[in-house]
Amino acid sequence: MLLEKGKVSGFQLKALVIGFVFGSSVITPPGIVAGHDAWIAVFLGLMEGLLIAWIFTALTRQFQNKTIVEINSLVYGKILGTCMSALFIWYLFHLGSLVLDHYVRFFNLEVYPATPKTIILVLLMLVCASTVGRGIEVIARCSLILTAFILLIVVSDTLLLIPHIDLNNLLPVLDVPASQLLWAGHGAASFPFGETAAFLMVLAFLNKSESGSSAIFGGLLTAGFVLIVITARNAAVLGGLATISNYPSYLAAQVIDAGEIFTRVEVVVAINLITMGFLKISVLLYGTVLGLAQVFNFHSYRPLILPVGILMVIVALTEHTNTFEMIEFINKSYPVYAVPFQIGIPLITLVVAKLRKLPQTGGNQL
Amino acid sequence: MIILLLIGFGLVALIQIPRLIKKQWRRELICFSILWAIGLILSLIIAMGITLPPVSTLINHTISGWFGL
Repeated sequence: MLLEKGKVSGFQLKALVIGFVFGSSVITPPGIVAGHDAWIAVFLGLMEGLLIAWIFTALTRQFQNKTIVEINSLVYGKILGTCMSALFIWYLFHLGSLVLDHYVRFFNLEVYPATPKTIILVLLMLVCASTVGRGIEVIARCSLILTAFILLIVVSDTLLLIPHIDLNNLLPVLDVPASQLLWAGHGAASFPFGETAAFLMVLAFLNKSESGSSAIFGGLLTAGFVLIVITARNAAVLGGLATISNYPSYLAAQVIDAGEIFTRVEVVVAINLITMGFLKISVLLYGTVLGLAQVFNFHSYRPLILPVGILMVIVALTEHTNTFEMIEFINKSYPVYAVPFQIGIPLITLVVAKLRKLPQTGGNQL
Repeated sequence: MIILLLIGFGLVALIQIPRLIKKQWRRELICFSILWAIGLILSLIIAMGITLPPVSTLINHTISGWFGL
């Protein structure tokens, strides 16, 4: 049964991938473990992210117009396929709640310290649920406007920060041990580049299925380039502070002072998180409810949006006891935790499909 | 807080359940009801000030234990 009637163009998907990768990483830059070499870690992470994208786009090229849930049941059969799909759906759900947690922690610490977390989360979730209810086409259209807007903000921020950049803060290059740099690079790959594996639930709805790979790679390269620039910029402006700050982009924006008139623009940086966080959570909520609806063979995924959204908010509320724990989770455990979902499931499925010579004729006969 | 919660959950049920009954989508209704009930119970637990174990802490401990990170 066709659960989604909407279609997404390659260009819309590219914008959606850029927005998804920015998600919370535009505020909490990846690779921070590598200190002032974080930009190199982001570069390494981008390379690994491209490899992950190659794996899952190869899978969707082989099974055109199929989501990972449908692919799993074709490759593994009903029972094992459902188990694999359940694991993937759990990852989408948990990642959604982690992004919600990043979002609410930032707002609680920096922007709305007196507002209860629950209010911020419920309001965001209502907007996301409303968008998801209108289908993937609406999310993709939103991404076109929002991503362009955010790219404009990032470029303006960076231009305004040029007078404060001290390139000596980036020296000496490759100062950290190779193992630490590689770990930071893998961390940057798992958060955020490898998270694009969530698009295994979206790639089935492209109007031209052959444009999927180029859109994913184009989106990853654009977002990766911007993140490298942001990370290097933050380190060059803030020096050692960039490593110890939880939100270096926000801190760097506080430095902006154009003629003593244009100051305190850091809240503009918060807009990045509001808009890109919205896109990322919407894609993850969409993937979770669509996946559940496909597993249970429902007529529609829409009845699940509100209860799953509520559960995401509950898990986000109980996720970490403090921000330090959250940062530790991102840097230490998450790079290991994410591997089976971002690389394991797509790679094993691809290998098994190749061994079983699936799909047997073309890609649309099943 | 608990009254607000009950009103919120009541509204969600009021919006969804009549639609599902009208369309005779039984499986969707069962799944919705289970998820809705889990959400309501967990929300009430949080509203009563009982701390739920964080999922990430559990993952943190497991991975630290297995890989010695």
